[in-house]
Amino acid sequence: MKPLLLIIKQGVYGSLQDKGRYGYRAFGIPLSGPMDKVSFQAAQLILQNHHDQTSFEMFVGGFEFEALADGIYVLTGGQGVCLVNNAPIEMWKTFHLTKGDRLMVKSMNQGSIIYLTPLGGFYSKYELGSSSCLPLGHLGTVITKGSILYGQAASPLKFNRGLYAPYRPTFDSAITIRIFKGPHFHLFMEKSQQQFLQNPFQFSGGNRMGYYLKGPVLQLQEMKEILSEATQFGSIQVPQNGNPIILMADAQTVGGYPIIATVHEDDLHKVAQMRMFNTIHFALEDM
Amino acid sequence: MAAIIEFPHSMWISQHTIRFAFHEEISHTNFYAVQAFNRFLKKQLRHNLVESVASYHTVTAYIKQQINVDLLKRQWLEIQAATTNGERTNRLLKIPVCYDEEFALDRQRVMDYTGLSFEDMKMLHMSKSYYVYLIGFLPGFPYLGELDSKLFVPRLEKPRTSVSASSVGVGGGQTGIYPVDSPGGWNIIGKTPFELFDLNGKEPFLFELGDEVQFYEITKQQFWEMKSKGV
Repeated sequence: MKPLLLIIKQGVYGSLQDKGRYGYRAFGIPLSGPMDKVSFQAAQLILQNHHDQTSFEMFVGGFEFEALADGIYVLTGGQGVCLVNNAPIEMWKTFHLTKGDRLMVKSMNQGSIIYLTPLGGFYSKYELGSSSCLPLGHLGTVITKGSILYGQAASPLKFNRGLYAPYRPTFDSAITIRIFKGPHFHLFMEKSQQQFLQNPFQFSGGNRMGYYLKGPVLQLQEMKEILSEATQFGSIQVPQNGNPIILMADAQTVGGYPIIATVHEDDLHKVAQMRMFNTIHFALEDM
Repeated sequence: MAAIIEFPHSMWISQHTIRFAFHEEISHTNFYAVQAFNRFLKKQLRHNLVESVASYHTVTAYIKQQINVDLLKRQWLEIQAATTNGERTNRLLKIPVCYDEEFALDRQRVMDYTGLSFEDMKMLHMSKSYYVYLIGFLPGFPYLGELDSKLFVPRLEKPRTSVSASSVGVGGGQTGIYPVDSPGGWNIIGKTPFELFDLNGKEPFLFELGDEVQFYEITKQQFWEMKSKGV
């Protein structure tokens, strides 16, 4: 465990994440883990890290780091403006920081989340089988301005590695996402069911717990309370106001709002990278 | 011999999630069915099961590979026919609660709503045992049912910005205990010296789904003694 980076500026939100905290949902512990699994996994592959290593997940922008030691890193995720000592660097390719270097992850052109991963992964307190940070449960290490990110021992890379541009995921401002019918789909008015499947919805904000959408107001046939039951990363809940919420990685494990649909597991990373005013279309898939 | 529990309605939620639902109601019948089915799934699916989450009427299984529901159904009916339901092994947990004014923040509100004296309210709260029907909302938060209907008090219209950990509350038809400091809207009637969520302990969680819970009263002095001993 050695100090790698000092956080000089903290952007919207940053947290350490490994692949997630499996096995404790029955106790009410959210899954956590990366919002955009594809970019997270790519980082570990590029660096030849173990697949469960820890990355620093950033809701950009405005992050700045000072290198406290020499190190090898990769940046993956949405398309951002990243600078080392004020000179732009390319994402999806390993790069070297020398002690004293300044790394800035400044702003996004596409998407909203970027992963910073060092060779060997970051070190974070390992609790209940995961190093992912869950502030509500006091699990993991909370990172803020002034925090130090620690690294772990790793064997050096022989070559610079990266992912060629055509293989990198892209994150458009208008996306179509595959969904499955949720357990309460049939409780919605027919008109609402149609609108849900035909109209675009707009991203109106969110965090690691949930993404809020705006569009046609979705209504139940009759106002009735449903019993709380298990939810997951990708459950689309509709509270009384009729505006859907997509539950994300840190969402609570059970919920009492009707679930109109669930996002296809392979499309979750696209949802995660949505930003203000982006639009989303839902395409119904059969199971 | 117990009646055969029918195989629940199954539905794929996503590629690796399948939901099994019994009738949508909060009842003892459902509670037994859900717990039995959850145990059955863990046994049958073994390593293919990542984890499962049970609620009042559903068991949701997070799995590694798709499963054959027809096969599962046959196994369920075979096992049902072969055994009685006597193998239920619920733990009974006795939980001390201090109902002192210092902790019972909503004492007055509960008395106003129920028309009961606080003494009667306490007695009713302790008069029966409850089952952990659901855990969630917060890490380790147990939803305990069913509460005596005389104790039904709606949740606060404006939730408190902070409820301290180990506070005991009632809300609607249920009672529960806050595992961590958090905002919350349940009516607080007391506090337990126990910790519900303790990462340093041998068992990080006090409650498990299906546990039976009985409250008993302790004085403020006992509360602080138990608390300092860290029991």
